[in-house]
Amino acid sequence: MRQPAQPNLAAWHAVILHRPHPVVDALKRQLELLHIEVETVWPELEPRHAEADVVFFDVDQGYDGQFPWPAGFAPMPLIALIGSEAPGRVGWGLAQGSNAHLLKPLGSTGVYSALLIAAHAYQQARGQAEEIRSLEDRVRQRPTIVSAVLQLLEEGCDGEAAAWKQLRASAMESGATIEETAEAICRNARRSRNGA
Amino acid sequence: MNRDAIPVSILYSTTGAYAALGREAVDGAMAAISDINTNPQFGFRLVPKIDDPAGNAERYASLAEAAIRQHGCRHVIGTITSWSRKEVLPIVERYGALLWYAFPYEGYEASESVLYLGACPNQHLLPLFDFALPRFGKRPFIVGSNYIWGWEISRIARELVETAGGEVVAERFIPLGSIEVAHIIDEIRQKKPDLILSNLVGRSQSAFIEAYSGLQQQDPSFEPSVRPVVSCNLSESDLVDLPPDARSGHITTAIYFDRLDTAENRDFKARMGARHGVHRPLSPPFTSTYTAVSMLAQAMADAATDDPTAIRKVATARQFQTPIGPVSIDVRTQHAALRPHMASSNREGEFVLFQSAGAPIEADPYLVRANARMHRRIAAEEPDADSKTALRVIK
Repeated sequence: MRQPAQPNLAAWHAVILHRPHPVVDALKRQLELLHIEVETVWPELEPRHAEADVVFFDVDQGYDGQFPWPAGFAPMPLIALIGSEAPGRVGWGLAQGSNAHLLKPLGSTGVYSALLIAAHAYQQARGQAEEIRSLEDRVRQRPTIVSAVLQLLEEGCDGEAAAWKQLRASAMESGATIEETAEAICRNARRSRNGA
Repeated sequence: MNRDAIPVSILYSTTGAYAALGREAVDGAMAAISDINTNPQFGFRLVPKIDDPAGNAERYASLAEAAIRQHGCRHVIGTITSWSRKEVLPIVERYGALLWYAFPYEGYEASESVLYLGACPNQHLLPLFDFALPRFGKRPFIVGSNYIWGWEISRIARELVETAGGEVVAERFIPLGSIEVAHIIDEIRQKKPDLILSNLVGRSQSAFIEAYSGLQQQDPSFEPSVRPVVSCNLSESDLVDLPPDARSGHITTAIYFDRLDTAENRDFKARMGARHGVHRPLSPPFTSTYTAVSMLAQAMADAATDDPTAIRKVATARQFQTPIGPVSIDVRTQHAALRPHMASSNREGEFVLFQSAGAPIEADPYLVRANARMHRRIAAEEPDADSKTALRVIK
């Protein structure tokens, strides 16, 4: 199903991690006109803030340990609020896993596009992380595939190409992945060897 | 003839954690204003609106805004820390005013609403390390105040040290204004670094210098000739209240020292003594703010207005004769080209010059050229030849 272009902002809860400051007032105004519920926190988030849909955080005065999750593992999009463009500070903001940023002082616009960019970047990063995890699982299964091909050769397949073809055909027939099918072939072979 | 009265904002913390620097800055600004107001060549008088935010970053914006909106100031001479400058920046930008910033800072900024007259890292830390690392070693211990100045100078220092094949022994930060330094001295005693880079500010700097001098006196292996403190922001006011033994042997870089032996400085010191009764050694903060106000007045005379847009145009198009030598401001970055000097402190708490850049160095606020140099150096894996050429030893 096609996703709407914009997330359902009206249902969003935003947290601003910044000391009281005119920047916070300007940000709050822009978020509230988008019907986003806003909470301002300083200096540290609590575990319950993991429920927020987006977190804006101050890079200028920020420090390690302000978030109740390890750096880079935020469970929501993060938007960095940057005053000093010193690379040390920008690097710290990146290490927290920021998906978008806004420069201080805040003008009267910019928050909406930052929300869209952060939500998109966060989804994309999460999708890619999941894909990497599944690819890593498959890489880990490679020795099993090699064992299965060797097993099929032993069982009479005429060459590696034929064994590989049979492995793929079996996988398609059973609706399983090649890795799962290879695992099943090796398991069966072990059983036969053990005389089960 | 009636001379127009032009209000200008003088915004420095003369109380609080780094009050001594602020008082020097206000004294310098007021000496310049007095010189301008008694000089009939100027067709105007400057009327200072002096405010003291007391080292509280949150108060800078409201005081700057009041000076601009209620008192008609279009120029703010002020701020020492980057934290406070960042607070004033949106105000001068919003009202089209101009901030004259006259202190060393960490770079990575180039606002159209600021004229940067203090040194940035390629004008302070880079020359300092070009001098210090080959002489004392490549294993610095870094201490700093816990805000952007301390953090960023430490980061740049680490990059320079690691590119040079050295190692930062430790980086330690304490809150702005804190004098709790005993744990840092203990760690230095244990780790025996080659030198200490101090990015501490105000009373923290004084407390650290005094405590480290205690260690130097107990253990000769920490003597200044062996493991000195080097700093980009150590000034006379940080040493004045310390005992004589604690004052000497520390190395700093600045764009001005009282003992600078130039015609401009001899003239400046004579005038400060004769007109204002200032017979103490003149500090970089005093002279930098004096220079900033003088440049503003000269630009106003040229432009025949105090309109910030016109002033900016004039100020970036000419050279100024100042106590620190001829100064010009780059129209692209709005930073001054500056001539860094290096000096070592003596028992009187004065700085004795031992090295100066041959000519003013153009500001590189984003360290783009210095970074390119580091990349080339890493690529070639050979000693950095061109960094030495900027400095020459004063005989």
